[in-house]
Amino acid sequence: MAMPIDGVTEPTKDPRIVLSALAQSRPALDLSTLDLCFLAALYLRADGAALTSFDEEKLGEVFDSVCALLEPRPESLRRRATNTIQRLRDQKMLARVDGAGLLRAGEFALTRLAASIVDSFLQDESLTRENLTLLTRTLRVSLGEVLGCAKRAESAADWHDGVEGPLRVTVADLVSGIERRQRSLDLEQQEFQTQIAKLLQADWFGAVDRCLELLESTSRTLAELNEILLRDAHELSSVLQDIQEVAVGKSAACAETSVQRVMEQVDRISAWGAARQRAWSEYYQYVHRYLCDVVRLDPSRALIERLREQLSLHTTRPFALAVAAAPAPRLLREIEPFKDDKPKVSRPRAEREQPPVAHDAPDPHAIVEERVRVALAAGSAGLCEVTQRVNAETPSEEQFVTAGRVAQTVARLARTTQDRDRPWRIVQEGLVIEEWNIASGAHGGARRD
Amino acid sequence: MAEPDVTDALSEDRRGDTRFLALGDVVADELFPDIDLALRRGRHVDREDGLWYSFLIDAQGHLEALYRRYGCELIHPSDGYFYLLPTGDKLGRRHLSVPEMLVGQALTLLYLDPTTLQQGGVVKRSDALSHLAAVMGSEALTRAFNPKRKRLDERVAQETVRAKFADALRRLSALGFVDLLEADSLRLRPGLLRFAEPVRGRGSPAEALEQLVARGELVLGDGESDEAEDDASTLDADENAVEEHAVVELPADLLSEFDDFGEPAGFGEPPSEDEA
Repeated sequence: MAMPIDGVTEPTKDPRIVLSALAQSRPALDLSTLDLCFLAALYLRADGAALTSFDEEKLGEVFDSVCALLEPRPESLRRRATNTIQRLRDQKMLARVDGAGLLRAGEFALTRLAASIVDSFLQDESLTRENLTLLTRTLRVSLGEVLGCAKRAESAADWHDGVEGPLRVTVADLVSGIERRQRSLDLEQQEFQTQIAKLLQADWFGAVDRCLELLESTSRTLAELNEILLRDAHELSSVLQDIQEVAVGKSAACAETSVQRVMEQVDRISAWGAARQRAWSEYYQYVHRYLCDVVRLDPSRALIERLREQLSLHTTRPFALAVAAAPAPRLLREIEPFKDDKPKVSRPRAEREQPPVAHDAPDPHAIVEERVRVALAAGSAGLCEVTQRVNAETPSEEQFVTAGRVAQTVARLARTTQDRDRPWRIVQEGLVIEEWNIASGAHGGARRD
Repeated sequence: MAEPDVTDALSEDRRGDTRFLALGDVVADELFPDIDLALRRGRHVDREDGLWYSFLIDAQGHLEALYRRYGCELIHPSDGYFYLLPTGDKLGRRHLSVPEMLVGQALTLLYLDPTTLQQGGVVKRSDALSHLAAVMGSEALTRAFNPKRKRLDERVAQETVRAKFADALRRLSALGFVDLLEADSLRLRPGLLRFAEPVRGRGSPAEALEQLVARGELVLGDGESDEAEDDASTLDADENAVEEHAVVELPADLLSEFDDFGEPAGFGEPPSEDEA
């Protein structure tokens, strides 16, 4: 379903916001052939009889006539009509326009959405030399009037009524008309391409002339349209620039924006012409070559069959095409000058080994002996007490070793006695030793080992 | 191949029609180096190459004479493309491998098919492969793409077919037979009609093949092996150079000549008769 994209009538919106809003409203279309035909019948009836709306009775009549053509089943006609009308109303194809509510039967009209859908199916609005010339001429006249209004505009209301309004509605409709016809012509070209392929499939050599005719006519049409577009788009841009200059001079920002949008749309239209011309030109050349090189040289269409056979038998009757295969020229590398920025590698001249130097280190045995002497002098009664005193001044990791040294020193410096039971005492957490009694008055005694 | 006197006469005529008065003008043209290199690497130049094709049309007379001195012919079939065909040993040549030949013929079938016209000569890769499988039969195609395997695991064999198909497309693209486009598409080019040469005449294909073999256009039998291609494809020119350097051992007396590095060492001399 084509979504109307009109850069003129609506200001540019962020596509993400638009899509989010669209997704939130959860739109969906579900139209059967009967629905579409019913809408088309309403459209044509309204067009022919200049009706703006239909009452319920007329809706029923139109539905009956459509059903008579498509699904001639008399049963449950009224129920099907009710369901179809409701479904179309749910999908915003039909809208009630009378606003009378319960007071009387409603009046219904096709919505813009329904009219657009029917339009796209019914209207054959391909771009032709005649309608393009007419459209661009009307556009030029409208823009000329807008330019006159812009020059005369004094107030904001003048700008709105004389410039912005016509640019948003009249000019935009005309430009959209050209774009719509361009899209129709695109579809036509696609159909031409399909038609050419089908013609050749059906009647190989006999289709050459018809294919050439199709190619020539489409090419001619495109060339003419492109010529008109190039010439008229230049004139339209020139008038639009004049309007823009006046708007800038009179500080009419809104009008300037509207002019800018129309200019962009005119640019897009002329770009379409060039792009289609280029694309068709490539296709034209390809088909022309095909017709000359393949179809004309193989009128009986035997080549494809023979080639198919050659391919299927290739493994039993192989051959290989020869192609030139000169090696790529070998280019010598540029020599990069040596950069001496790295430290040089050299052997150290001086002796690595240094002679040993004597340092005065504290003798742990002497320290322990001094501390033991102090403890004995203080009147310690046993080995446990002496060890506690000495270890109090010793780092924890050396206390175990120091305990042994203390025992050795005490045994050397004092006279010790032992009980028969040889009791073990806790010196500190994690350290238990055998207790020796130190005889009183024996401190600093002369026992020597 | 035309007789030399006729060709020369044609060339003389063409020389009068073109913008190039002498071979020097052709060589001096800024397009010449790229076109020359492309032709020497087997590229087929057709109308879609635009300026290149116009250049070759204009310079055809001069270039035919030039390339004949290198032992090769500048061929310009009526289908509208140019390519260089080596007929001697002065310029390197290779013969297309089995996958390249099979894929090339399948693409030619598609090129000739009117349904391809609808897309202006653009086809999908997957369509090309399925067309090839439909014409040859899946089993024959798998065998052809896996010639050395006696026992075929279906999954591995199919994977090999796909890989070799893609590789063949890449090589055919480098030769100007096809353009690799985005979105898995290919544009078929007129050079593909070379694959149909054996069956284009009214005579028997065998006779046509004999004539083409006599002209040096093709050889009977399989072309390059895949392994040789694989080796060649994985090494570019520089890497090849490295490979060669790795296996060549220079004699000591030759190495000693590099003592006076920077002096001319006679690299430009032509090879001796023994070497040749």
